[in-house]
Amino acid sequence: MPAFLAAYDFLLVSMVLAAVLALSLYVPLMAGQLSLASPGFYALGGYIAAITSTKIFPTAGGLYPVSLVLLEMVVAALASAVLGLLVGVPALRLRGIFLALATIAFVEILRVVSLNLDVTGGAIGIFGVPQPFASQIQYMWLGLPLLGLCMLFVARLEQSRTGRALIALREDELAADAMGVDPTRYKVLAFTVSAMIAGVVGALSAHFINTWNSRQGTFDTGVSLMAFVLIGGSRTFVGPVVGGLVLTALPEALRGIADVGGLPAWLAQFLRDGRLIIFGVMIALGTVFFPHGLITPTVLQRLGRRRGSAA
Amino acid sequence: MTRSLLFQQVLNGLAIGSVYAIFALGYTLIFSILRIINFTHGAIFTLGAYATYALTGASFGFNGLLANASLPVRLPFVLALIGGSLFAAVCGVIVERLAFRPLRARGSDPLLTLVSSLGVAVALVNVIQYLFGAEAYSYPADPFGHLPSAVNFGTAAQPILVRTVQVIIFGVSMVVLAVLTVLMNATRTGKALRAVAEDTVTASLLGIDTDRLILLTFVISGFLGGVSGTLVGLSVGIAGPYFGIAFGLKGLAVIVLGGLGDIPGAVVGGLVIGLVEAFVPSQYIAYREAVPFALLFVVLLLRPQGLLGRTIVQKV
Repeated sequence: MPAFLAAYDFLLVSMVLAAVLALSLYVPLMAGQLSLASPGFYALGGYIAAITSTKIFPTAGGLYPVSLVLLEMVVAALASAVLGLLVGVPALRLRGIFLALATIAFVEILRVVSLNLDVTGGAIGIFGVPQPFASQIQYMWLGLPLLGLCMLFVARLEQSRTGRALIALREDELAADAMGVDPTRYKVLAFTVSAMIAGVVGALSAHFINTWNSRQGTFDTGVSLMAFVLIGGSRTFVGPVVGGLVLTALPEALRGIADVGGLPAWLAQFLRDGRLIIFGVMIALGTVFFPHGLITPTVLQRLGRRRGSAA
Repeated sequence: MTRSLLFQQVLNGLAIGSVYAIFALGYTLIFSILRIINFTHGAIFTLGAYATYALTGASFGFNGLLANASLPVRLPFVLALIGGSLFAAVCGVIVERLAFRPLRARGSDPLLTLVSSLGVAVALVNVIQYLFGAEAYSYPADPFGHLPSAVNFGTAAQPILVRTVQVIIFGVSMVVLAVLTVLMNATRTGKALRAVAEDTVTASLLGIDTDRLILLTFVISGFLGGVSGTLVGLSVGIAGPYFGIAFGLKGLAVIVLGGLGDIPGAVVGGLVIGLVEAFVPSQYIAYREAVPFALLFVVLLLRPQGLLGRTIVQKV
């Protein structure tokens, strides 16, 4: 086990962080809003952590205090919430495709701005973000509780009055509005929660990957997150979590299959280098054959029943 | 800003704006009929540029699966442009069959179709990268024979120089626009297309073969994508497989500015964004990439129906 952890430390932490980010995309989707803004807040959170730890509290050597990482995560959440409100209040009057487009524009604007500001290090970005842990696998001490908290929060949200209001908006906005659910209020709420989650993950990620630049949190990230949610499942919080974990591990798994041997050379080569092709095809096929993703509330119920009868 | 510089910037803005316009028309034609945004359009744009490159007989780099491959033909640039664009049109049809038709048959949510087209776009772009590597390519230096590198629109004393490439791009775009305008407004097919855009169900009840017209729309859209890919490649080079995705995002700004699904609007939107980009002051030039998106954002908030669009009333 320790050998396994050591060999796959980067991948395992990446999987956990991807699962949390996927939850960030899932929350607005609960209300039927496809927002691709999460990468923007992720980038913002990362810059907050990178700037704080390299410029405001530079450490001479040794480990960076974990308490400061936690502080950065809180600051990133607050900053993302403020920016989320500023962007969300006007943008969430838009529906469907218009909202998706507005959030794509938001991410692109942030990217160009961060590419040009001095404080964000311009095109080079910020190097040498200090490490709070001696080994990468120890990021699990922050990553796993974060994933657990977010899962708990979203699971509770789904059962709450607010969650039911969001789902009502997804099913029929006009009907929900007529029943007294204020669409803008609930959509902005979901959008702000989504922004906070993404900001926190960004802050942790800046430390984890040691460097931060304008290539973090772009449109491409948004596409991946969408794949996590839509392939995993967009009707229960379990879907995005499983999607984020599994699809992040997919390239490694494919490489593993390619290395087993016995495969024709072209297939092994394709499994190693063609992962994004496979990814794209999976998104396209998923929307046709599993419009609600692989893990749906029905699947979960069936699993639960089986476990019940076995006991 | 002196008068000649002003004139020069206007011409540059119109040249790039006219490419935005024909590219965005590819998006907007499909949106006007199917009410979906076809994210594969950016990938089709890349495919067209690569196909034209291959048809000129140039060889690819050594990184992809097809390292150093080249076609046994060596077409003159104009024919390669047409051939490459036709190839893009064929790709458009394949995309329609694989990604859009199955979802349409199920009556899926437009957002799901958007996601599916994103998936196809990711796959297409990475197929290109897998086959040909991630290098940048550029077309032969003098694709039209020995033309001067710039055209002087002023006098010998007060030159107003515009790159020849920009002039050619503007010319080709205008020809494409003219043909499309005639097609849409003066032919039976164009009338049928407009009828389908207005109301698909009624059009089909009136005996219009909507499936055939949807296919035709994807042919035209793919062709426009291919032409614009080649023209942009001609102006600034092909910056690897992903360059269509970035351009595709910009195209979204154009169609939103013009009003989603509005055909004259896409042309106006393209020209406006081209001109605005050309007039970004040189000290803020680094922010030019953000201009279309800032415009997109502002237009969505203030005038979501676009510059020319009519207000859409949400029906229950």
